[in-house]
Amino acid sequence: MRPLLDILASGIHDAKNQLFIAESQIAAREAELQIDLSEARYAIETAADRLSRTLAAYRLLRDDARLAVVPANIADLCDEIALEQGKHLSAAGIHLSVDCQAFDEWPLDRELVTDMLNNAVQNAGRFARSQIRLSAHFALDGLTLRVEDDGPGYSSLPPKNGIGLMVGKRLAELHVRQNRHGTLQLRNGSALGGAIFELSLP
Amino acid sequence: MADYSKKRFLVIDDLPLAREALRIVAQTMGAFAVEFASNYQDAIYRIRNNTPDIILCDYMLGDGRSGQQMLEELRRFNLLPDETIFMMVTGEQSYEQVVSAVELVPDDYIIKPFSPEKLMLRLERIVAKKNFFAKYYKEKRQQEYTAALATLQAQRDSEAGRPYRFETLRQQAEVLLASGDATSAETSYRSILEHYDFPWARAGVARSLQKQNRLSEARAEIDRVVAGVPHFFDAADIKASICMAQGEHAEAQKVLDEVAKKTPRNYLRKRLLAEAATLNGDSETARAAMADVIANDTMPGAISAADRLAAARSQINAGDKISAERVLLGMRESEVQNMNLDEQASFAALLAISSPEKGKPRFLGLRPALIATALNAGTRLDILRAALDTGDHPLADRQTETLMASEEAKKVFGSIRTHYALHGRETDFREIQKQVALKRIQHHDGPTETKTDGNTASGQHQ
Repeated sequence: MRPLLDILASGIHDAKNQLFIAESQIAAREAELQIDLSEARYAIETAADRLSRTLAAYRLLRDDARLAVVPANIADLCDEIALEQGKHLSAAGIHLSVDCQAFDEWPLDRELVTDMLNNAVQNAGRFARSQIRLSAHFALDGLTLRVEDDGPGYSSLPPKNGIGLMVGKRLAELHVRQNRHGTLQLRNGSALGGAIFELSLP
Repeated sequence: MADYSKKRFLVIDDLPLAREALRIVAQTMGAFAVEFASNYQDAIYRIRNNTPDIILCDYMLGDGRSGQQMLEELRRFNLLPDETIFMMVTGEQSYEQVVSAVELVPDDYIIKPFSPEKLMLRLERIVAKKNFFAKYYKEKRQQEYTAALATLQAQRDSEAGRPYRFETLRQQAEVLLASGDATSAETSYRSILEHYDFPWARAGVARSLQKQNRLSEARAEIDRVVAGVPHFFDAADIKASICMAQGEHAEAQKVLDEVAKKTPRNYLRKRLLAEAATLNGDSETARAAMADVIANDTMPGAISAADRLAAARSQINAGDKISAERVLLGMRESEVQNMNLDEQASFAALLAISSPEKGKPRFLGLRPALIATALNAGTRLDILRAALDTGDHPLADRQTETLMASEEAKKVFGSIRTHYALHGRETDFREIQKQVALKRIQHHDGPTETKTDGNTASGQHQ
């Protein structure tokens, strides 16, 4: 129902505005007192991401789901994920490395793809021993974005926890170019030793 | 890294706390000065007086205005140099839907909440992009289109240009269209579509086809965009303009009526609606739309002589010659002096219609110029009406003949027929039509566009 979507969207919009005010005030204190409150800011950003993701999931699972595809710079996208997750991971002793070999702009839904990769990196962070790698390259059939870790890998494939994976697959599938659809694959056997999350966009 | 200690920021947001948050973010980055604007008018005023280096504008500005409208208005009045950074700030995912569709986009958009570091990263990239396009911006501003296109072409093929591939293609297409090369613009937009079916690129194809007077093809393209992306309101404007050129004035008005309701404070759209309603014979809608424009488009300099002429025209159509006369005679002498020839001709014609004793001498005085000069279709329509009113048949018929032989025949056909009918001259009109068609067959220079659209007087379906 459209009215329900509007109510959800407006509530989440207001909540994110409030979170922005909180985050900016923390940033101001950090600068003023020369202290590091990055974990507090990380918690705020993660909460906001969670809200956005919930709304995005609701939107994507509807029949009239529509992406907002823009030409995106892949290196920039990777840098932003590193900026958002890197510090938090390194506090937990995990190093996030970025290897971007995709230098051209590519058409994709920038916010949703960024969010999906942020989520994948966060998940990897729960299992990794000391390393996560985010990589991007162009393959024959389009752009491949990959998150790998050195953890134990998925205990079962496909993984059982449904909704996140379902939304991810739907997001991949909604990316259509020249009649080809995107795909999302989860598997084990990374060069780092653990799980691989691989998003391919035509 | 760019040095923000010399940069002037302007933060535009209607909510005080949100403004404060943006100020903090900018100051944490080391901004030299941060100014605020709490509403639309205030923002325009500040930008006009002293263009900031970086504009952070919230998408939701309250009072029926959006940041997107602000961006469009700044471009329309040439208040936003390419070198200035315009960043849209939004808590809404819905803005992404807008930005993925429209032709006129900000340098970037960022979704709240965000850290100073993230904003800094985004601004760094924009600065890099602006540096990359610096030479092109300068050439474009000086309207050196050939040089600008050469610069873009060289950059497009360069290694450093890889991150800006789509932006370069888009700029190329826009410059080609602005410089009048609609065929190459079409090719450029189509090459973007080969990569991905962006609504803005398809709208560009439609605009390029319209400029080539390939109207049925243009219409098919824009119909596809409007159906696929209903929230892309500019596409509705393009569709309406194509419909008008095709002579489908009722459809044009319908399309504009719908979007104008959703964007009540978009006055460019209201002007377009007035034009469509006028052609469609709906004088009340035209009159209301122009009255709204003149009362509420409060941008300094927004109300032009053409607007006052349109208002007077709408009043004449609604049968209110007294109000039309008041509008025309109420125009400042300096404004009348500064009008271009088309406007002067329309002014004289409309005044002759609304107030014969005051307007006729002026109109007669212009007569030789009206015959000798190339004028717009809208102007010619005003002239032929005044000529019919004053019984100057040769002048009227001459305008009709020119119009019916022009590419805009379809657009004005219905109006001309109505005016001839009002003076009991339907037969004369049909005779002119026939003569124009005959001449066309005799000359038969056969440009492709007339074949495509059958845009001849004889091709009119009634």
